[in-house]
Amino acid sequence: MSLHLQQLLPTYFDASRSETSEVWGKDLRFDKGQRVKIVAPSGSGKTSLMHFLYGLRRSYTGSVHIGGTTLGNLDAEGLALVRQQQLSVVLQDLRLFPDRTVLENLEIKRQLAPYHEAEKITEMAARLGLSGKLGARCGTCSYGEQQRVAIIRALLQPFDYLLLDEPFSHLDNRNAEIAMGLMLEEAEARGAAILFADLERVEFFPYSTLLHL
Amino acid sequence: MALSFQTIRPLFQTGSSASSRWLSYVGLGIGVLLLLCSAQMFVNIQLLLQRNNVQKSGYDFISVTRTVTNATMGQPDKNLFHEGEIAEVRKQPFVEGVAPLLANRYRVQMGAGAMIPMRIDLFLETLENEFIDTLPPTFTWAPGQEQVPLIVSSDFLEAYNVFAPGQGLPQLSSETVTTIPLLLTCSGRGRQLQFYARIVAFSDRINSVLVPKTFLDWTNNEIGEGPDQGSARLFVKTKDANDPKLLAFLDERGYKVNSDKTKFGRTKGVLQGIFTGLGIFGLLVVVLALMLFSFYLQLVIARSRESLQLLLTLGYSPKWLSRKVSNRFVPVYIGIVLSTVAATQAIQWAFHHLAMYDRPELQTLVHWSVPALAVLLIGVSVLTNYRLVRKLVAQLGEGA
Repeated sequence: MSLHLQQLLPTYFDASRSETSEVWGKDLRFDKGQRVKIVAPSGSGKTSLMHFLYGLRRSYTGSVHIGGTTLGNLDAEGLALVRQQQLSVVLQDLRLFPDRTVLENLEIKRQLAPYHEAEKITEMAARLGLSGKLGARCGTCSYGEQQRVAIIRALLQPFDYLLLDEPFSHLDNRNAEIAMGLMLEEAEARGAAILFADLERVEFFPYSTLLHL
Repeated sequence: MALSFQTIRPLFQTGSSASSRWLSYVGLGIGVLLLLCSAQMFVNIQLLLQRNNVQKSGYDFISVTRTVTNATMGQPDKNLFHEGEIAEVRKQPFVEGVAPLLANRYRVQMGAGAMIPMRIDLFLETLENEFIDTLPPTFTWAPGQEQVPLIVSSDFLEAYNVFAPGQGLPQLSSETVTTIPLLLTCSGRGRQLQFYARIVAFSDRINSVLVPKTFLDWTNNEIGEGPDQGSARLFVKTKDANDPKLLAFLDERGYKVNSDKTKFGRTKGVLQGIFTGLGIFGLLVVVLALMLFSFYLQLVIARSRESLQLLLTLGYSPKWLSRKVSNRFVPVYIGIVLSTVAATQAIQWAFHHLAMYDRPELQTLVHWSVPALAVLLIGVSVLTNYRLVRKLVAQLGEGA
């Protein structure tokens, strides 16, 4: 099982970007268990990369393969299955249901492909300081709280690759470190890889591979 | 554990479009009721009018002639049936069999001796045995046989008994008539042949004097005058003398049919036309209601667009989502259609008991085709909704 990026380049980027980038236009293979840090300044295509890897957009040349399956060739059903079983993501724009409570948001994901029992939600929420917020509507939570909800949501399903797009942008260092610890534990338990894209290096992420976008 | 829809149900906003939803429910109910009632009435007409046919052995036998007009008078080729025409009638799908009635080509006189002192000229005809309703085993003849069996229309005996008293003749029962020895005198080509005859049966179906075919062929051959010009009458065997297709075929060719046997067919045609029209109208209402409902579904999906897109982003299967969203309305559909089946049943009960005074041809229960149609309608509604939702969700999935 590996995630293979083959000559991947957004259609709206000039081909010359592949000369300066360690990701765009290159052949890369990420194996399970790997910790990959992708450092990317603003505008370098960090969110685009995460969207391409999660199958949200197909505006690229080259290809993305997961376990021998070409992501771009999957139909909607195939993509749904990959998102249920192999890929999990924390997107930069979080994408929560603002009118539903924190607990409902988490249950919606947990019930789709149950990896943990329902009690695990309470445990994770307590660890990330959200115990008192489970009954609150997501729309009323602070951005930092919403970010932690999105992180817990990503950890409630089975996955081989955890994609992180600036997951700590609204968290202080202490909370970010706790959240990172939780994600590392969950990835470890699944033998999964983490692809962590951020503006700069995060000291508490023990990466095995560092790439500059 | 099977994935439950309950968790995500609140994400779908039905909101203020409830009025259009209820309007479509009412429209669907009215349309389905019209359709089911039309189907039931269609069946009722069939049952009511079929019983007016004189059916023997499950078939109707009708006598067909050509209409003789002033323009065709005296032209046998225009008033008789030719082989080609008989073959054309025979190959029609609603015709089970055809037989021409062949007539004598010589003069025939009949007398009854001293018992009934009268002597009449008459005609003889012959018809294939299969078409005769009362066929005794004695209805046979072979050359050399002096006794000729006759089958006579029961109308003739009735007519005789009407005028006999006024002429000083005795009225006769059918049993007595069959015992009277008759004398047939056949004349032609300068020869005269005499036979004893006896009436062996009366026919309710054939308005004629029938003799065995072997007798008519032999006598026509011996003393018949002029060539065989064909038959003036055909006997048609059919499953339903009131079949509109049969009547249309006969009308188209200008063939004349015994009207009392087919008048119900013409009434039935008109009534069936009315109820077919009503059924088509009901179907149109159903289609309109389904269209209205599809607009409502589109509105629900448009309002829940963001939620649906996010569910797809999270990994929810488009097929599963489409099925769950469209299935939400299945109980409503089933409820509407079952209510209309119940209403159709109530109408049928009232029609049978109150309007038709429990006529035995009709049934109080609705015909099986009514619930079958109801099941079909539920299936079509569910399928069209699912396909619509699936298409809309697939469009949303392109952006998730």
